[in-house]
Amino acid sequence: MELDLKGLGKKDMLALKNVKNERRKIIHDSSADPIFTQFLANEIASNLHPTIQYVKVAEILEAGKSAKTFVLIPDIDSGTKKLAYFRPGQYVCIQIQIEDGIYKRPYTISCSPKKAMDNKYTLTIKRRNQGIVSNYFIEKVKVGDTFSISGPKGNFYYEPIRDAKNIIAIAGGSGITPFISMAEAVMDGILDLHLTILYGARTKEDFLFFHRFEEMKKKSKRIQVEYILSEEDDENFISGFITKELIEKYMHKENSYFLCGPLSLYEKMNVLFKELNIPNKYIRYDSFFGRIDLNRNEEYNLTVLTGGKKITILCNTKETLLSSMEKNGILAPSQCHVGKCGFCRSKLKSGKVKMFDDALLEAEKGKKYIHPCATFPESDVVIELPF
Amino acid sequence: MNDKFDVIVIGAGNAGLISALELVKSGKKVLILEKENVPGGFATSFIRGRFEFESSLNTLCEYGSKESPGEIYKLFEKLDLLDKLDFTTITDAFHVYSIDENVNYKMPFGILEFMEKMEEYVPESRNAMKKFFVLAEEAKEALTYLASQKTNVDADYLKRNFPDFLKVSTHTVDKVLDALKMPKRAQEILTTYWIYFGSPTSKLSFVHFATMMFSYITKGIQIPYKKSTEISFLLANEIEKNGGKIKYLSPVKEILFKDKKIAGVMLVDGRIFESSHIIANLSPTFVYGKMIPNFLVPKNALKLTNSRILGARGFAIYLGLNQSVEDLGLYEYSYFIHENLNSNKEYQNRSTLKNCSSVVYVNNNAIPSCSPKGTTVVTFFSLFMGDVFSKNVTEKNYFDMKSKIATRMIEAFERTTGIVITPYIEEIEIATPITFARYGGHPDGVIYGYKATGMDNLIPRLLSLEEENYIPNLRFCGGFDALLSGYSSAYLSGEMVAKLTLKDEEGEE
Repeated sequence: MELDLKGLGKKDMLALKNVKNERRKIIHDSSADPIFTQFLANEIASNLHPTIQYVKVAEILEAGKSAKTFVLIPDIDSGTKKLAYFRPGQYVCIQIQIEDGIYKRPYTISCSPKKAMDNKYTLTIKRRNQGIVSNYFIEKVKVGDTFSISGPKGNFYYEPIRDAKNIIAIAGGSGITPFISMAEAVMDGILDLHLTILYGARTKEDFLFFHRFEEMKKKSKRIQVEYILSEEDDENFISGFITKELIEKYMHKENSYFLCGPLSLYEKMNVLFKELNIPNKYIRYDSFFGRIDLNRNEEYNLTVLTGGKKITILCNTKETLLSSMEKNGILAPSQCHVGKCGFCRSKLKSGKVKMFDDALLEAEKGKKYIHPCATFPESDVVIELPF
Repeated sequence: MNDKFDVIVIGAGNAGLISALELVKSGKKVLILEKENVPGGFATSFIRGRFEFESSLNTLCEYGSKESPGEIYKLFEKLDLLDKLDFTTITDAFHVYSIDENVNYKMPFGILEFMEKMEEYVPESRNAMKKFFVLAEEAKEALTYLASQKTNVDADYLKRNFPDFLKVSTHTVDKVLDALKMPKRAQEILTTYWIYFGSPTSKLSFVHFATMMFSYITKGIQIPYKKSTEISFLLANEIEKNGGKIKYLSPVKEILFKDKKIAGVMLVDGRIFESSHIIANLSPTFVYGKMIPNFLVPKNALKLTNSRILGARGFAIYLGLNQSVEDLGLYEYSYFIHENLNSNKEYQNRSTLKNCSSVVYVNNNAIPSCSPKGTTVVTFFSLFMGDVFSKNVTEKNYFDMKSKIATRMIEAFERTTGIVITPYIEEIEIATPITFARYGGHPDGVIYGYKATGMDNLIPRLLSLEEENYIPNLRFCGGFDALLSGYSSAYLSGEMVAKLTLKDEEGEE
């Protein structure tokens, strides 16, 4: 059947023949200059999300008991000209070589994003008992040292479309770092919100940024900080643990709760949130705790397939596959170190493991994908790295 | 040394994965190099809180069913993937709203049903609509013939079998629908899907639009239960099972030549892999512009690339809501929220930052189990035309700007449909042209490749494919190539480039 196509006829039937010629003509008439590749979106994307930033320690400040704040600036000699802007609450993943190991560790940026515009980040690092990297930073790192960090990462930040404008932040110990950044951003007019920080620590000495918080409280009605001491009594501070009443004291009509601290804090707060009937929507977690089973102590062989090589090392049931690779200087991808971001995704070729798999995609489940940063050996294990 | 391959595929997007699977199944030694840590390119998903979000697949066309298989069904059958995938079908075609006019139209699948409904909305549209589908079917057959022949097109055969196709083959959607005397309002409703092409109906090839529309209306839309990652991971696993290698977190820096012939690639981290055949699942803009030294790029490749216009830039909002679809009253799978139903006017709206139009998908209405009980996943997709987004964004205003645009789009949806969702947002992620520039690695954050316009529409691209293979043994696939963008196009593009690469190889022997 031929259709009656008003105005279209024989002439159009020939048009197809000319298509190639017409296209050739357009190409012929076009410029042979080098192709433009400096697109704005790509430039901003690589400035906001650099894969690597080389930094230099410009200054080291005491930040309380066994904690130091490291002021970082771009290491221009290594090719980093400026530091990426970030959202308060985001972290960077440090990469550093210590003896034979290559270590990566996520640390929350503890300054206002305004500092990033002046090409400065601060990271506040507290010594952890068994922490290879934190101990190294507290004891060995000095002004002028250089290392590399990732771009800003993580989703623990204020999102105006989702979150209430009144934020009740609950911090345990060194879990205060995202909130000092948020508070500084409120002071700088970058974040438009009220921030109450309920800050729990064992002893007075464990409070970081105490003087800075006191200063902010005086200058702005939008910042409030309550200190809660769990292992010490002091008339100037609340003793014990965060209570329902304390939270209620700072509640507005609509509130969002931001939590950062050890696992025990989350567990206790969850009970309180249930009592207060607070929907999930208003509760944000920053998880930086590992879930290690300290009761076990067995050693297995971990064989790593990477770049056509096969390397066998020892791995203890107390440590993740990632951490034993780090100790042995095997460069494996990693970012969040708590099994959440999926960046370290690798393949389990053989062996039994215990993994916290809450970050596996639906389509990956049951297909031998693992996140080595949240995986412990249960037998001799062979894994394949993604590159 | 273990690093010499028959073919290297740069980019594990949909097209790259299919091409690699075709090639390993033909016995070739294939390496895929992917810059991200997962396969699929935009065919991926991500987790926020208790939600896993599909990043881009909301309508897979050309799949169909066992009874009425589409091209993709046949391709997956050939690759022995069918029993490893689980698909669900969408029931209604689309529900389009005009913000300006405060009207809405809900269209069903099936040609008869579609025409019936259209007649109800636009009396006296039936005749033209019928002709449209007849013409669309002929165009589809003709296009299949053209795609199989490419250079050796038999004009007499075309004239004998596809006379109407020949009359319309070089015309735009508007021109042909006018010639069919289709009432304007019926044209506007029929062309709702124009946004999937990113080009207004005054520029878009009729054949391209009509053939896709024909598939949509006759074969419906399918999506996999476990999201696009189900397909991406399956393809990756099948490639590896058949002896192919995939290296993730392995961005390519440069294509290497030896005696002016393709010799391999060098990665950003300095690793080198050898091969005399390369398939690039990425933009010629960056391949010719960044990965090959300018003096080795043929003059015509520079000219062609410089003559092209970048297509639509992407903007997406992913929402996890803490209420069920019933609680919220979200009963449709797709809500097309257009400021104006006329695609040419709407294209202008989307060329400004005030753009508040979007397509809103309620993922649970396709896959009820895609989020925890009592919750809903809603995804907004919008487009910015031209570089209006990147021109106005700075590092400092970026986070504010994306929140503001997202707020406006969500509010426009709420105002137009009367459905309130904002208070129930438990998780939100916003992807912008900046995100697509980074994740896809595409110029200026485009998601549909080059703009489908004039002589850069489907048919000219297809017919010129062979003569534009400027560097022997370097082939392209994916949204920037001859079949343009979209899931089904990308899969078919992967199949096509594998065939061409095998032909290139035979030519050498």
